[in-house]
Amino acid sequence: MGPGVSRSEKRKIIAGLLFISPWVAGFIFLTLYPLVSSAYLSLTDYSVLADPVFIGLDNYKHLATDQLFWQSLWNTFYFAVLSIPINLITAIFLAVLLNFDLTGKKIFRTIYFLPSLVPMVCMGVLWQWMLNGQVGLINQVLWPICDALNWMTGTNLAPPNWLANPAYAKAGLVLASMWGVGNAVVIFLAGLQDVPRTLYEAAGLDGCSFWQKTVHVTLPVISPVIYFNGIMSLIGSFQVFAVPYVMTNGGEGPGRSLLFSATYIFNKGFESWSMGYACAVALILFVIVLGLTLLATYLSERHVYYAAK
Amino acid sequence: MISKNAKLIQRACIYVLLILGALVFVAPFAWMVSTSLKPLNETMSLPPRWLPTEIQWDNYPQAVDEMKLFWRYTANTLYLCVMTVVGSVVSSSLAAYGFSRIQWPGRDKVFVLVLATMMIPFPVIMVPLYTLFREIGWIGSYKPLWVPSFFAGAFNVFLLRQFFLTLPKDLEEAARIDGASELQIFWRVILPLAKPALIVVALFQFMATWNDFLGPLIYLTDQSDFTLALGLQAYQSKGGGTDWHYLMAASTLVVLPVVVLFFFTQRYFVEGIATTGGKG
Amino acid sequence: MSPLSTVSVSIIAIGVLFLLTIGDEDDKVREDGRIEVEYWEKWTGFEREAMEDLVAEYNRSQDQVYVKFLSVSNIDRKLMLATAGGNPPDVAGIWSSNLPVFASNGALTPLDVQLSESSLGEQGYLPSVWRQLVVYDRVWALPATPGTNALHWNKQMFRQAGLDPDRPPRTIAELEQYNDQLTQFGDNGQIQAMGHLPVEPGWWSASWSIWFGGTIWNGDSRVTATSDANVAALKWIESYPERYGAESLMGFRQLSGVFASPENPFFRGRVAMVLQGPWMYNFINNFAPKDFEYGVAPFPTIDEEDYGASLVETDCLVIPRGAAHPEEAFKFISWLQQPEQMEALCLAQLKFSPLKEVSEDFYERHPNPHIHVYRELAEHPLAQIRPQMVTYNDFSNDMVNAIDNVMRNKMQALEAAQEVQKRQQALFTRKHEAWLKIQDKRLKEWDQE
Repeated sequence: MGPGVSRSEKRKIIAGLLFISPWVAGFIFLTLYPLVSSAYLSLTDYSVLADPVFIGLDNYKHLATDQLFWQSLWNTFYFAVLSIPINLITAIFLAVLLNFDLTGKKIFRTIYFLPSLVPMVCMGVLWQWMLNGQVGLINQVLWPICDALNWMTGTNLAPPNWLANPAYAKAGLVLASMWGVGNAVVIFLAGLQDVPRTLYEAAGLDGCSFWQKTVHVTLPVISPVIYFNGIMSLIGSFQVFAVPYVMTNGGEGPGRSLLFSATYIFNKGFESWSMGYACAVALILFVIVLGLTLLATYLSERHVYYAAK
Repeated sequence: MISKNAKLIQRACIYVLLILGALVFVAPFAWMVSTSLKPLNETMSLPPRWLPTEIQWDNYPQAVDEMKLFWRYTANTLYLCVMTVVGSVVSSSLAAYGFSRIQWPGRDKVFVLVLATMMIPFPVIMVPLYTLFREIGWIGSYKPLWVPSFFAGAFNVFLLRQFFLTLPKDLEEAARIDGASELQIFWRVILPLAKPALIVVALFQFMATWNDFLGPLIYLTDQSDFTLALGLQAYQSKGGGTDWHYLMAASTLVVLPVVVLFFFTQRYFVEGIATTGGKG
Repeated sequence: MSPLSTVSVSIIAIGVLFLLTIGDEDDKVREDGRIEVEYWEKWTGFEREAMEDLVAEYNRSQDQVYVKFLSVSNIDRKLMLATAGGNPPDVAGIWSSNLPVFASNGALTPLDVQLSESSLGEQGYLPSVWRQLVVYDRVWALPATPGTNALHWNKQMFRQAGLDPDRPPRTIAELEQYNDQLTQFGDNGQIQAMGHLPVEPGWWSASWSIWFGGTIWNGDSRVTATSDANVAALKWIESYPERYGAESLMGFRQLSGVFASPENPFFRGRVAMVLQGPWMYNFINNFAPKDFEYGVAPFPTIDEEDYGASLVETDCLVIPRGAAHPEEAFKFISWLQQPEQMEALCLAQLKFSPLKEVSEDFYERHPNPHIHVYRELAEHPLAQIRPQMVTYNDFSNDMVNAIDNVMRNKMQALEAAQEVQKRQQALFTRKHEAWLKIQDKRLKEWDQE
C-alpha cells in the first residue's frame, strides 16, 4: 500500500475485509475450490472409493460421441426455450391484471403466489398424479373436450398419456413449472409499481388503447425486471432436477425425454459412480450457463431501458 | 376518453380472467386434498371421481404411520432449518454490511463476483463438493447441509446489501463520532433497523432448507436422518404400488406448514421478493 | 471495538463453530454390552416383516450381538454413498445384479476366508444361485431369497377364447397363435384385450434374449446386443406394432391400470399372459377378483428344445468394506443360511429356497401352490443369470429405451439393437480398460483381507 493511503483508509479496508470474510471463506472453499477440483477431476477416472487416475482428455473425447450427453443437453435447451418465454409471458400477463385497482386483489395475489411455495418434491409427486394418463386431473378435464370434438367431427382424439409419451412429457413438465410462476408475478408486480403514473396519463391523453400502453409504456419500463427474471429462469432451467426426478420415480422419462443435464450429472456421478465423467459434463454445463448469461447481458445492454436513477 | 360502459366491460373481463386463472391455480391443491381423503379404490377408479364418497380423515394418521419416521423427519428438517437460518442471517448480514456501509477500494468489483457466483448451478459443483465433504468425513451427517450456510450465500448477501444501501448515511456518522467501532455500529445501529430484511432472509432460508432435495439426497445415508422432502420421495419410490391417497395426504402435510407460515408473514415475502427483482 | 478485537471475535466464533460440528459422533456400544450390527434392507411390506421377524429371533437366540434392522429405500445408492463416506452398515441386503459394480469399485468385503472357515459353501446351494454370488473368482455375498420368472396365464380368458386352460404355449410361435385367438377388438376397432404384450409389465427388457437362445455379453470384453438372439427378440417385439399398430397399442396401454391395484391389466382380464415372478401370488391375493384362475409354467421359447430356460435372480446379503463388525455380521448371515431359518424366510417371503436340500414338507407348508414351478426353473440346466458386466444397469436402461422406440415405430429392431451395441460397447470398453489398469492392485487388496 502506497504512502497515499491514510490510516483511516487502511482501517476501512481491514474492517471491510473482516466483515466480508464469511463470504470470502465460502467463496474459496465452497465455490472456487469445487470448480478447480471439478476441472481436475474431469481429467481423471474416479469412482469415489478408489483414488482418481489421471486419463487426460479421455472423458471429453468420450463425451463428444456420447449420445445421452447430447440428448440431455438437447432436452435441457428444449425445456428452457419452451418454458422460459411461456412462464415470462404468463407472469407478465398475470401481473398486469393484478395491477388493476380491484377489490379482492389481495386474495387473487395470494392464490397465484401460493403454488410457488410448494416444495419441489411435493410438486413432483403432485404433478405426477395430475398428469396420470388414466385418472389424472388434467385428463379428466381433457376427456370431455376430446369426446365433444370426436362427436362433432368424427375424429378419434384422446388426451395424451403425458408421462408415458416422449412427445408430451416435457409439455407436462412445463405445465408443472407454469403453476409455480407466482414468484415471478410478484417481482413483475413490484416492477409495475415503478411505472410513473404520468407516463400512463400522457399516453391516455394521446388516445392510446390499453394494449398500446402495455407495449409502449409498461414493457419498456419493466424491461430490466424482465431481464432479471429471464436470467433467473435460465439458470433455474439449467438445474432442473427434483421435479422430473420425482415425477419419473428417479428415471429418465419415456424415451429419455426427461433426461436433463442435472439428471445426467447425478446419474453418472451417483448411479454409475463415474465421478470424473460427471465432472466433465458439469464443467461443460457451467461454460454454457456462463456463455448464455454473458450473451443475455450483452443483449440486455442494447435493448433494456434503464430509467435515470 | 374511454366511456364509462367500456370501462365497466373492461373490469368485468379482468375479473373473469382472474377468476378463471385462480380456479386453474387452486385446482391442483384441491385435487391433492381431495385425493388425500379418498379410499384407495376411489383414487384409481375409472372413470375417476372428483370427490370422495365418504371422507377418510383416517388417511392422515395412516400416511404418517406408513412413512414410519414422519415425525422424526419433521424434527430433522426443523433442526436443519434452525441451523441454516441462524447461519445465513448471521453470516450474510456481516458480509452485506461490509459490502454496503464501509467504503473500501475495490468493494464493488468484489461484489460483482458475489453476483457472479449466483449464476453457478448447484449440479455443476455437486460432485466436487461431495468429495470435499467426504475427505473431511462429513458424509452421512448433517454438517454438509448446514455448515455452508455460515459462509454467507450470495443471494442473501445481495438481498441484505440492497436493504442496507437504502439506510441514510448520517445514522452511523453520529455513532462514529462517538467513537463506536464498526462492529458496534453494525450491531447497535444497522441491525435493529434491518429487522424486516433479516426476517426476509430468514424466511427464504427456511423455505430453501425445507424444500432442499438434492443436498439431502447425496449427503444423508441413514434413513432415520432423512428430511421430510427426502422421506416423501423415499416413500413414493418404494417398491410395489403407490398408495396415492397416502402419498397425497403426506404431501399435504409437507406443504401445509409452508402455507401457514406464508399467511403469517405475507408482507415480508412480497417485499422480499420485490427487492430481489426490482433493482438488479 | 477495534479491528483487532473484531479479528479475535471472528476467530473465536469460527473455532466454536468447528468444535460444534465435530461434536456429534455416535458410538455404537449398547447398554447391555452387546455389539450392535447395523443391517440395511431394501424391502418394505410383508417381505420386510418376514426379515424383521427373523432378526428378532436371532437377537433372542444369543446375547453377544444385537442386529439393528433398518429399511432403506434406493439402497444401492445409499449403500455406496455410505461406504464411500466411511460409515457403512455391517450387513446390507442388495440384489445380486449389484455385485459386479460394488465389487469392482471395492465397496465390499470378500467372504472367501470366512467361508473357508465355516461349513457353508458352493456345495449347499443351487448352482444358478451360487453363480451370481461369485465375481472375479471371489464370493461377495450369501443369498437371501431367490426368484425366477415364468409365464402366468389367465385360465378364464383361455376358456372364453376356446383354448385349453391347462395347456400353456411352449414356443414363441405358439404364444403368438394363442395371442391372435385371445386378442379382442371393440366396435371402434380399438383393442379391448390382448393375449400377450411384451411390455406388460416389461420388467426384463434386457433379458428377452434368454428365451431366444442367446445372451447379450460374451463374458469378457464384448457386448453382444446385436447377437442373433437379441435381434430376434427385438424383431418379435417389433411384430406387435406391425400387427396391431403403434397408436392403438399406446391407447391400450394408457387404459391399463396401475400394477399394484385391482386395475392391473392381468387381474382385470385385459392381458391373458404375462412374464412374472413368485411375488405375483401376493398381488393376486390382494388385488385380483376372488374367482381369478391362473396357471404358472415356463415361458415359451423360440426353440422348443430350450423350453424351461429362465432368468434366476436373488436377493443377497453383503458386508460392505469398512464395516465396523464384519465378523459379527458374518455370524448373523451364516445363521440365516441354516435350513431352518432359510426356509422360514422363504415361506414368509413367498419364495423358494436357494439351498440344494429342501425339507420334505416345504412345498406342503408353502402358501403358493405354484412355487415348485419357479424352483424347477432355477434347477433347469438352461437357467441363466444376469450378465455380470459392470455396465449392466446402463445396458438395461438402453434396452428399455430401445424397446420403447421399437414399440412406438420410431426405430426398426435391427437399428435399435445396433444403437444399443454401439453405445454399450464404447461404455463397456472404457470401464473394462479402467478395470484392467487397477485389477492387480484390487486383487492384491482382496487377498490381504
